Amino acid sequence: MTMSKLNKVLMISLLVICTLWLVVPFTMAVLWSLVDPSQPWTADKLLPPAMSFYRWIDMWQNSSLKSALFTSYALAPSAAVLCLLLAAPTAFALGRFKFPGREVAKTLCLLPLVVPPFITSIFFSSVLFQLGFTGWRFGAILFAHAVLFLPYAIRILTVSFEQVRQEHIDAARDLGASHWARFRVAYLPALKPGIFAALLIVFIQSIEEFAIAFIVGSPSIVTIPTLLFSALGQDFVRPNAAVLSLILVVPNVILMLVLEWLLKSANPTLSSGKG
Amino acid sequence: MVAIRIDELTKQFEAFTALAKLSLEVEQEEFVTLLGPSGCGKTTLLKLISGFLDPTEGTIHINGKDVTRTPPEARDTALCFQSYALFPHLTVRENLEFGPRQKRISAHDRKARVDDVAEKLSLHAQMDKLPNQLSGGQQQRVSLGRALVMRPSVILFDEPLSNLDAKLRDQVRIEIRRIQKEYGLTAIYVTHDQNEALAMSDRVVVLNGGRVEQIDTPEALYHAPKTRFVADFIGDANVFSGTVQGEVQPGLWRVETAMGTYDVATSTPPKEKDVDLCWRPESAVLGDAGHTGKVINRAFQGHFTDLMIETKGVSYRVQSRATSAQEGDTVNISIPPEQLILLERTA
Ligand SMILES: Nc1ncnc2c1ncn2[C@@H]1O[C@H](COP(=O)(O)OP(=O)(O)OP(=O)(O)O)[C@@H](O)[C@H]1O
Ligand SMILES: [Mg+2]
Repeated sequence: MTMSKLNKVLMISLLVICTLWLVVPFTMAVLWSLVDPSQPWTADKLLPPAMSFYRWIDMWQNSSLKSALFTSYALAPSAAVLCLLLAAPTAFALGRFKFPGREVAKTLCLLPLVVPPFITSIFFSSVLFQLGFTGWRFGAILFAHAVLFLPYAIRILTVSFEQVRQEHIDAARDLGASHWARFRVAYLPALKPGIFAALLIVFIQSIEEFAIAFIVGSPSIVTIPTLLFSALGQDFVRPNAAVLSLILVVPNVILMLVLEWLLKSANPTLSSGKG
Repeated sequence: MVAIRIDELTKQFEAFTALAKLSLEVEQEEFVTLLGPSGCGKTTLLKLISGFLDPTEGTIHINGKDVTRTPPEARDTALCFQSYALFPHLTVRENLEFGPRQKRISAHDRKARVDDVAEKLSLHAQMDKLPNQLSGGQQQRVSLGRALVMRPSVILFDEPLSNLDAKLRDQVRIEIRRIQKEYGLTAIYVTHDQNEALAMSDRVVVLNGGRVEQIDTPEALYHAPKTRFVADFIGDANVFSGTVQGEVQPGLWRVETAMGTYDVATSTPPKEKDVDLCWRPESAVLGDAGHTGKVINRAFQGHFTDLMIETKGVSYRVQSRATSAQEGDTVNISIPPEQLILLERTA
């Protein structure tokens, strides 16, 4: 077999796998969300026999979807920003200072990620309760999310801080720049991609997080994942779950595209000259 | 008037002494080069002058003001970085304007300054480009321009030409010197390239292991090096150890070496009996007089011929403009007494 033929075969298999992986579940979700309750979609039919937006309208009007949406989309950006602020000092230290054991410290920062999220969540929420963090449940979830997803933000920002070039800082300083001006001209351009990436990851993680939101929030606070699990758990209404999961995924995709575009336009290049 | 006065400046990194009791005075509008091998402390000294390092001991005065503890952003110095350090996301104009902006110079003056510098460095066609759209030489000029718009009392260069190819290097070197004279700037210039140092400088500071070997004009460094290190580092030199026999005539000292006896003309009598005797390859005279040697290697170099000659087991270098000597020939070599240099023996 020639090289180009092999390439073609590989390309096609890749396309097929991607289709199976991405398109099929998505299509299935769309189809399931459109199933009309008058006629159930049984396994022997390729397409639902009757389709309508009944489920969408029903979910919108008769469930806590609206408040769940509001909570989730208030929670996620706040958690992302808070997480970024909490991560910044550690990332700065890890990225800018040389000290013995730095590499070990970097690895240690990632360690919380190897514990299964549900376990972390259970113990973390018990800590929150013990600290008496129960008066303001939204705040408790917000704080928990910000802390729980710190490893991602720290790791990403550490790499960004390492990208900042000392000579740019020195050059700015030499030209009389104040701390703030130095930050803007030397740090910010190098940090921007990392800031966006960290915000995005924490945002998505927070939007999708179930365990903490459930343990700490229920019953008074409903987020999209907890709503989703109750739709699946109580009476297993698959079409309702499909509606919810689409609501969960669509804004994320849009957000990701926007950020991707932002990243590209914000960052012409970071290097100048040689050396 | 003295622009920079450095007194007994010492910099230690923990136990390591990077700079030891260095003293230096630089006159207004003078171009001084710091020359020395890698790791001798050139960058360290430059960072001390610009304020990025704090000295362990000693003081620095710029225009009569003690700036030893003044941070870099408040010092009246401007640094040209080896890697240019242009801000990659800013255009050439924004890069040039950055400094004046920090100093809160009015928009009108800022523009005037930037345009003036752009004009002098022929950068006007590049003003709206980003640094990565420029050639190395142009980036170098922007970096120089960014320092110039600050109208600093002192401009500092850290090996500014090392990223340019040989041809461009000569061109930019001449340009830097021209601009420095035009703006009447006091300049300190770091290089480890002796040709650059000799060609550009009013005076050269030769550093070795954090210590000053000699501070002199390029001519004096070449014709009257004080130490073996300087003789070796600047140009080519033949150096032999010898013993002073005594003064044979007023101002003429006889020195015994492994190759024979030489008479050295010097106005400063040698302090010790043990000395190093040095001469430049081109000061040897091939003729009938002097000691004999055997040519062991010959290399034609165009305007001169490079010979390796051996006498009594000691080999040395001679450059001659007109010689027909071939490998294996025996020649007579003499060195005029005034071309011989006595060096202090250093440990
Ligand atoms: N921050 C530092 N910590 C410890 N030692 C240092 C530090 N900076 C420089 N040194 C040491 O001080 C000595 C002088 O360094 P410096 O950078 O001044 O050399 P240089 O003359 O500029 O050399 P080059 O020509 O290679 O640039 C070197 O031996 C270097 O290892
Ligand atoms: Mg250096």
